[in-house]
Amino acid sequence: MISVKNLEKAFGENKVLCGINQEIKKGEKVVVVGPSGSGKSTFLRCLNLLELPTGGEIWFEGNNITDPKCDINKLRQKMGMVFQHFNLFPHLTVKKNITLAPVHLKLMSQKEADELAMQLLARVGLAEKADAYPNQLSGGQKQRIAIVRALAMKPDVMLFDEPTSALDPEMVGEVLQVMKQLAEEGMTMVVVTHEMGFAREVATRVLFMDQGQVLEEAPPEEFFAHPKNARLQDFLSKVL
Amino acid sequence: MMSWLTDMWNRFYDTMIVDDRYLQIFWGLGNTLLITVCAILMGTVIGTIIAMIKAKVFNPRNIVLKAIVKILDVVGSVYLTIIRGTPMILQLMIMYYVILTNITNGVTVACIAFGINSGAYVAEVIRTGILSVDKGQMEAGRSLGLTQTTTMFKIIFPQALKNVLPALGNEFIALLKETSVAGYIGIHDLTKGSDIIRTTTYESFIPLISAGLVYLVLVVGLTSLLGCLERRLRKSDIR
Repeated sequence: MISVKNLEKAFGENKVLCGINQEIKKGEKVVVVGPSGSGKSTFLRCLNLLELPTGGEIWFEGNNITDPKCDINKLRQKMGMVFQHFNLFPHLTVKKNITLAPVHLKLMSQKEADELAMQLLARVGLAEKADAYPNQLSGGQKQRIAIVRALAMKPDVMLFDEPTSALDPEMVGEVLQVMKQLAEEGMTMVVVTHEMGFAREVATRVLFMDQGQVLEEAPPEEFFAHPKNARLQDFLSKVL
Repeated sequence: MMSWLTDMWNRFYDTMIVDDRYLQIFWGLGNTLLITVCAILMGTVIGTIIAMIKAKVFNPRNIVLKAIVKILDVVGSVYLTIIRGTPMILQLMIMYYVILTNITNGVTVACIAFGINSGAYVAEVIRTGILSVDKGQMEAGRSLGLTQTTTMFKIIFPQALKNVLPALGNEFIALLKETSVAGYIGIHDLTKGSDIIRTTTYESFIPLISAGLVYLVLVVGLTSLLGCLERRLRKSDIR
């Protein structure tokens, strides 16, 4: 589904990604962990070109999205993204946040979008907040809405950029619950997170990144029980 | 007290009512409003375009478009420097006597000159507004597959406008009062109207104070209008 070939990204002199090769198949739940500054967020943001790679190729559903001729807006419709700081639109109601893009891009009528929004909101337990504004919600509620907003586009893959890092500890659970549910429904997911419990429980594959490279990748059981790379052993001993 | 009031009324009657001289104020007010409204509209359009160029809203991947954006950016900078670096009266006179010499209608020239002038100030105000909106908003819009332009107009702009409405109101109020220099190119505006009454009647107090009161009423009206708009835009801030 997504194939990353020798991906490189540099900010000026500072090389953040140094040649990443990855193959993400349909239905996989890939969790990316690593110390801060390891390039994991940049890697995720490259996947939908929020950061323009400085080298290498990214293929998504048979299209080379790093080709300047490729219509990235069209492909982004199929890649949902959830941000660390939610990035809900504060001037719009929850329902309008969710329906804006699908209606504007003529994927559905306002009525269809409203129905879908209510359905999705009910699923994350926030149906009664449809007419509230984002500022009236808690962090956990905002993030669940942000997930719904991405889902309303009916994406083929969901990208999560540290979705629980800006939340109070007691709100982390409700967001992870929604993500778990999504995983069980078979959504393809790429998740950058510090939640090792989530990685262990939900991931089909865990990647460890440091200094712009993927140093180790394995299914979660093996990843946590028998880490091979010394840097990963050190990292796990600190976070677990 | 009573005698002071009757005295005032007689002075007012002699200067303003006799020969229908209040019409000088009335027609002047018409021109003042016409110039202000035209200039606000024109300034907002010019200002918005320049602001979007200066705030680096457009960053196409295509090389030719990139070059065009770069050129527009330089043009914008030159425009801002010249307009903000020279006095309004001078710009108005240059427009009337040097550049737009084949337009004989002074009001039209004034509309254009004030519009171009206001555009420069509005541009900086709106640019501030665009920059005040969190970068994540653009990223969120783009990540949903919306184009840069759509995200700009549907998501960034409404928030930017809310943030800069007081500053924008300031600019419009300043513009309204600035139009009082239109008399320099022979336009019969509100200030000029009161001055005409003053020179014909040798009575200064009544016409000048009257004109002042009219300006005051206009500004208070404009302020409350902007206040209404601001309250509407702030609806989403209620917690």
